[in-house]
Amino acid sequence: MEWDGDGGMNSVPDGVVQHVLSMLSNVRDVAACACVCRRWRDCVPYLPALFFPRNAFDAAAAARGAADEAIGRMVAAVARLRELVIYCPFSMARLPAWIAARSATLRVLELRMDAASDKAAPDGGHLDCIGLAANLEELRLWGVSLTAAPAWGRMERLRVLEVVGAQLRDSAVKDAIAACPNLTDLSLLGCDCSGAVNIELELLERCRLDILGGSNCSLLLAAPRLESLEVQGFTWITLRGGHSLRRLSIAKSTGRVHKVDTGNLPDLDHLSLRGVQWNWAAVSSVLQCASEVKHLMMKIEFCGDMDALQPFPEVDLVDFFNSHPKLRKFEIHGAMFAALCQKNSLKNLDPRFLIPCLEEVLITVRSPLNAEQKLNTLESLVKYGVRLRTMVIRISQMKNCHDAADDFFEEICKFKYMNYKKVRIE
Amino acid sequence: MASAGESGDGADGKGVTTITIISSDNEAFEVLEAAASMSLTIRHLIEDGCADGGIPLPNVTAGILAKVLEYCSKHVAAVAASSEAGSSSNAADAAAAPEKEEDLASFDKAFIDVEQDTLYDLLMAANYLEVKGLLDLACQKVADMIKGKTPDAIRQTFKIKNDFSPEQEEKIREENQWAFE
Repeated sequence: MEWDGDGGMNSVPDGVVQHVLSMLSNVRDVAACACVCRRWRDCVPYLPALFFPRNAFDAAAAARGAADEAIGRMVAAVARLRELVIYCPFSMARLPAWIAARSATLRVLELRMDAASDKAAPDGGHLDCIGLAANLEELRLWGVSLTAAPAWGRMERLRVLEVVGAQLRDSAVKDAIAACPNLTDLSLLGCDCSGAVNIELELLERCRLDILGGSNCSLLLAAPRLESLEVQGFTWITLRGGHSLRRLSIAKSTGRVHKVDTGNLPDLDHLSLRGVQWNWAAVSSVLQCASEVKHLMMKIEFCGDMDALQPFPEVDLVDFFNSHPKLRKFEIHGAMFAALCQKNSLKNLDPRFLIPCLEEVLITVRSPLNAEQKLNTLESLVKYGVRLRTMVIRISQMKNCHDAADDFFEEICKFKYMNYKKVRIE
Repeated sequence: MASAGESGDGADGKGVTTITIISSDNEAFEVLEAAASMSLTIRHLIEDGCADGGIPLPNVTAGILAKVLEYCSKHVAAVAASSEAGSSSNAADAAAAPEKEEDLASFDKAFIDVEQDTLYDLLMAANYLEVKGLLDLACQKVADMIKGKTPDAIRQTFKIKNDFSPEQEEKIREENQWAFE
């Protein structure tokens, strides 16, 4: 079918066509546009981004080397390429040429290394070519192996580094990060790590470290501008420079958290503590440092220093809320609720006691033991929580299916009906 | 969007300035200066003192101008509301901010859901008037119409003529064949 090219899209100025095509990055779309007409073909060199999805080439084409050819051709065609994302399988050996060709303009690079058809050299040498992109600002690598630090030279402009599913050796981490002194965002996720991880970054603002590991791993993080920190899998954690920290999440899905040393956290809004077993000193240290916290999530099952799993020691409810006066939202799972349900907190109460800011509470109750005290505590939260709007009580995972559980359940339902505007059961 | 009130530019008692914009077919629209200034073209004309008696736009018809001004008015109101919420320490205001963003997003989505001819007109008007948000919105809509299509299908959708010579056609096809396998 032929159109005479009048009106509609054909009257749109070149600059606007360029603007439209700049919003496309999937290589199939870019290739299709290049075939539409001369005007559209001529826009391709000025496109900012190329994205090669996982299935950009089927297996047969990939086997023929069609993928590498096409990637090479497209990278060559887009003269001012700013952003290159390759999820499909490619040959590692071709990478240096592609990066060198666009080293001046490349700002964002994301590679799925586990999809590379030639397996990487174990010493990490294949990643050295990334250092050619001297102006790189964002780098994301999936499934890479960093047993030795890549020879990147100094990546002064790099702001964002994300490594997922990698084999890391701690010295390699330290050296790789030393090459990127100006990072603002660092993520090492699903990485196999052991030993001591030592990170010092002046400009770091957001950090996520999630390591797999049966072994015990320690973290020393010095980052004076840090605003958000999320760590999973460390047994010992030391943070220096948390004075600007607003969000903190510490988790350990297997094994034990032995020590947490954060220093005072005056700006902390959100705090989340999760794990199977934490040393109690570590828990109370963080809670003490987080006196200004507004959102608190606690999901720790046990305390104890050694292999013996122990319940939490008593936590005085009044002291707790007095030391965290800005608490607005409180999510309690695991041992914390039981610890707060102690007889002595509410005797000899100062009549002026209040829980001033608390608006939302979410409690998971696992055991019907100590039922009377638990109900007492729930009632106190409602009574002294002058701003309380919602309380959600989760009892679906309650243990011990005998009479005590049934009685408890009945009492909770009664409590709910008495406070139906605020209390909800799940 | 034509708003009730006196024609010509003027300030009402609250110190809020309106100006008049005149379409190519001589229809006048009175809008808040802040809204009209979302168009860089109009803003420069105002700054150069050309706003007296109304700003004529010989390239934009009334129908399209109405839509552009509707977009600007909605977005300028949203900017004002969010800067109020930003400076407010009220928890409820802060909580409402993401909701308002959602409102704006659904406004944009409905706004750009128009006939193809109207879409081109909006594209041209946003470009000429330099309304960045609207230009991005319209361009994204066109880009979404291109995604996943073969070259033939693209030409069909946009009524574009294939102006490659047979040799060029051959070369281009060969280079990009992999994309159509």
